[in-house]
Amino acid sequence: MRLTCPFCGSRGLEEFTYRGDALVRRPAADTSLQTDAQAWTDYVYLRDNPAGLHSELWYHGVGCRSWLVVTRDTRTHRVDDVRAASAVAAERSGGAA
Amino acid sequence: MADKLHATAPIGAEAISANGLRLALAPLAEAASLGAFAGSGRAELLACVRAEFGVDLPQTPKAVTTADGLVTFLWCGPSQWLALAPAEASGPSGASSGGQGLMARLRASCGAVCALSAQGDSRTALRLSGPGTRAVLSRLVPVDLHPRAFRAGDVALTLAGHIPVIVRHLDDQPEACELLVFRSFAASLFHDLHVAMTGHTS
Ligand SMILES: [Zn+2]
Repeated sequence: MRLTCPFCGSRGLEEFTYRGDALVRRPAADTSLQTDAQAWTDYVYLRDNPAGLHSELWYHGVGCRSWLVVTRDTRTHRVDDVRAASAVAAERSGGAA
Repeated sequence: MADKLHATAPIGAEAISANGLRLALAPLAEAASLGAFAGSGRAELLACVRAEFGVDLPQTPKAVTTADGLVTFLWCGPSQWLALAPAEASGPSGASSGGQGLMARLRASCGAVCALSAQGDSRTALRLSGPGTRAVLSRLVPVDLHPRAFRAGDVALTLAGHIPVIVRHLDDQPEACELLVFRSFAASLFHDLHVAMTGHTS
């Protein structure tokens, strides 16, 4: 499998580390473990296991050391999209990078 | 007063030649990493470096050298650069005045807008030169080194075998590349390159 880093170009898998589901969100800091344990359980333990497109975090540790959001088809390993996680986060929060 | 430890070379080997290629240490007088602070730090850092050194920090994996040849800035990731002052670079006054005082210059000109760290003890530079440099390097480095993809001034942060390296193509006349490697890996990389030069496996 190869990933096209938006900064470094096409590189082999050996340069990257998989860092998990990119859609997981940490509950708000004031979320109570007593009254909303389910929110924390979801965050810490529960993951979707889609047969198809999956949004995931990869770290380009050997290259530019950027965190990337990769859209990959789990059935074929076809990679549809690779973007800088900073750009995805900025877009989500509506702010600048 | 305690005695200072003797400085030791990162590799014991002398320069080696094989099949028309040469592999040698390319000593650095000083090296420093620049990491732009968030917010407006990036734009400010670019402006500060332009004002002090007369060059634009590269926005893509490339290197740029100041007009006097004393300092080279390498792209090292988004908003990160490595500043190198080769020991053998000769300034306008001749001799080997190259590199001295790089850190002081950086601190004075852009210390307020970026994280600045001395890297002289971190990185070692090796230089591989001679006809067939690209071909030999291709035995270890998994990125496309063909002239259409990797030209003078181009930089790649990647692996040489299992060793993280920063490869910089210096020139095609004659062919030459520089490899920046963590000091503790330098001897191992030197060995691997030697093997690649002779075309044998060991
Ligand atoms: Zn990268």
